[in-house]
Amino acid sequence: MTERRIPLVLAILAILGFAYMLLPIVVVVLAGLTAGEFLTFPPQGLSLRWVAAFLSSEKYLSSFFFSFKLALMTMIVSTILGTAAALFLSRTNMVGRAAMRAFFLSPVVLPGVVVGFALFAFYISTGIGLSRTIWGLWIGHILYSTPYVIGTVGAALAAYDTSLEEAARSLGASPWRAFRKVTLPNISQGIQAGSIFAFIVSFGQFEVSLFLSSPNSEPLPIAMYNSLRYQFDPSAAAAGIFAITLVIASVLLTNRLVNLRTLLERRQDGS
Amino acid sequence: MGFVQFKGVTKTFGKSVAVDTMDLDIARGEFFSLLGPSGCGKSTTLRMLAGFVAPSTGSIHVHGRDITRLPPEARDIGIVFQNYAIFPHMTVFDNIAFGLVERGENRADIKRKVDAALDQVGLGGFGERFERQLSGGQKQRVALARVLVIEPEILLLDEPLSALDKKMREEMKFWIKNIQKSVGITTIYVTHDQSEALTMSDRIAVMNQGRILQVGSPVEIYERPNSRFIAEFIGESNLLSGRLTAGGVRVGDTVVPAAQAQGADGAEVALLIRPEQIRLEPVTEGEAPMLTGRVADEVYQGALRRYQVETGGQTVTVEVPNRPDLAQLPPGAEVALYWTPESGVALR
Repeated sequence: MTERRIPLVLAILAILGFAYMLLPIVVVVLAGLTAGEFLTFPPQGLSLRWVAAFLSSEKYLSSFFFSFKLALMTMIVSTILGTAAALFLSRTNMVGRAAMRAFFLSPVVLPGVVVGFALFAFYISTGIGLSRTIWGLWIGHILYSTPYVIGTVGAALAAYDTSLEEAARSLGASPWRAFRKVTLPNISQGIQAGSIFAFIVSFGQFEVSLFLSSPNSEPLPIAMYNSLRYQFDPSAAAAGIFAITLVIASVLLTNRLVNLRTLLERRQDGS
Repeated sequence: MGFVQFKGVTKTFGKSVAVDTMDLDIARGEFFSLLGPSGCGKSTTLRMLAGFVAPSTGSIHVHGRDITRLPPEARDIGIVFQNYAIFPHMTVFDNIAFGLVERGENRADIKRKVDAALDQVGLGGFGERFERQLSGGQKQRVALARVLVIEPEILLLDEPLSALDKKMREEMKFWIKNIQKSVGITTIYVTHDQSEALTMSDRIAVMNQGRILQVGSPVEIYERPNSRFIAEFIGESNLLSGRLTAGGVRVGDTVVPAAQAQGADGAEVALLIRPEQIRLEPVTEGEAPMLTGRVADEVYQGALRRYQVETGGQTVTVEVPNRPDLAQLPPGAEVALYWTPESGVALR
C-alpha cells in the first residue's frame, strides 16, 4: 500500500464540512440526554430520563414502529417497482425514453409539500377512500422513494455488460433464468443500495406524511413535530436519537454486506 | 444445400440498413469468416444468427429448419463475444458448467465434462478462479470452453482476438483453428482483420455497407478479388489505371496481360498487382519486362526492401525480399518490372 497524503487545506475543509453536517445531530443527541426539564443546549447535566420517557411513551413508541413498518413496506414495493422501471429504461429504445426517465424521477425534484398536497387533494376529490389511511400514506411514500431505487439500479445497469445476459441465453437459459442467474447477481449491489435508500427516505419523510397521515397512525417525524408544537420537551430529541440510530444501523448494515463481499473477492484475488 | 442459410435477409435500424438482402450458404464443418470494415453489417449478421436480433425481412435456416423466430436458447448455437462475457460472479468451473446446468444434466456428468473441457483448452486446475484472476488469453479459452462443452451445432466467434496483444493474437489464431478442426464444428468468424480471415478460414465473405461483395477461399479472395474495394481492403495492392484492350490491359503505352479482362474494348479498369509478386531488375537486353520505370524511393524494412517505382506517371510499390543475391537498386536507377501473367487482375 502506498500512503496517500491529503493536502492540509483540503483536510481542514473536509473536517469543517463534516462538522457543519454532523454538529446538529450531536446537538439533538445531547439535548435528548439532558437531565433538565426543557429542550436546551448545552444540556443541563446528562441523564437517560428522556430516553426512558420516550420508551414509556405509547405515542412515540407506536409512531416509531409505525414508521418502521411503513418504511419496510415502502422499501419492498419501491425496490421491485424501481428495479423494474430501471430495467425497462435501460433496455427500451422507444421514443421519449429520456422524458419518461425524467418523469419517473420527478417526485425527487418536486417540493414534497406539492406532492403531498396533490395526493391529498386527489384522494379527497375522487373519494376513493385513501385519504387519511395507511394505504394512501403508503402510496405517497412509494412515490417518493422509488426514484432513489431507479437511480441506483440505473447506475448499476449502466455499468452492466448486456452481453453477459446474451451469453447466458445462447447457453440455453430462458429470459427469466438468464436474468435471475446472471443479471440480478451483477446488479444486486445497486438494488441493495437502492432499497436501503428507499427505507431511509421513507423513514424520514415529513411533507408527504403531513398531508396523508391520520392522528391514530402518525409516522415518527410527524409525531415529533406535533409534540414540539405544543410542548417543547426533550422527549422529541430522545425520539430523534432512536431515529438516527436506526438510520445509521441500516447504513452500516448495508455497508457491511457490500464490503464483506468485496473483502471476500479481494482475498480470492490474492490467492 | 448449405448447412446454414440466409435467404434474402435484411435488417434495418430505423432508416439505416445494416444488412441488405443477404443470401449466404455455409457448409457443415466449414470455418467461414465474415470480413469487412466496422459498420459493414458483419456483427449484425452474427447477432441475427445467434438470435439476439430478428431480421426485418428474410429467413435463416440451419440444417433445413427455419430458425428465424426461435429464441437464442432454442437454437443450439454457441457464441464467443469480443469481450468474452465471462460471468464475473461465478468461478471458471461454474461458467463452463452453466450451459450443462441449464440443460438439466446431473452433477457427475457436469463435473466430468467441465474438467474435460478445462483440459481441452489447457486450463486444468483453473476451475476455482474468477474472471478477474485471468489474463486475456485465459478468458478467451474459458469463453471457448464454455461454448464447446455444450456441443452446439454452430460456433460463432465475434472478433475474439481483437482484445489481445499482437503476440497472443498470433498464438490464438492457430490455437482456435486447431480446436475447430479437431472438433469439426461449423464456425462463423467475424473479423475486420484480413490476416486473421486469410489464415484461419476455409471460405471468406467480404462485406461492405450491408452487402456481401465476394465469397471465396482465401486464395480466391486475395488473388482474384472481384472489386477494387476488396483488392484494397485485403493485403497491399498496386492499382494501375488503364484501359481494356485485346489481350489485356493497356497501361500507358504498354499492353499487359491480365485475368478477368472481360468487357468492352477501351473500358477504364484498374490493374491489380500485389507488391510481393513483382520482380525488380536492372534494365537488360533479353526477356521483355511487363513495365519499365525508375526507382523513386527505397525503404529498408529488415526482412524486405520496399521500392516505389515510377512508371508512366503512376507509382508502383514493390516488395523485394532482403536477400544478398538480389541486386540493390538505388533511387534514380532505371528498372524493369516482371511478374507472371496470372498475377495481373483487371478490376472495374
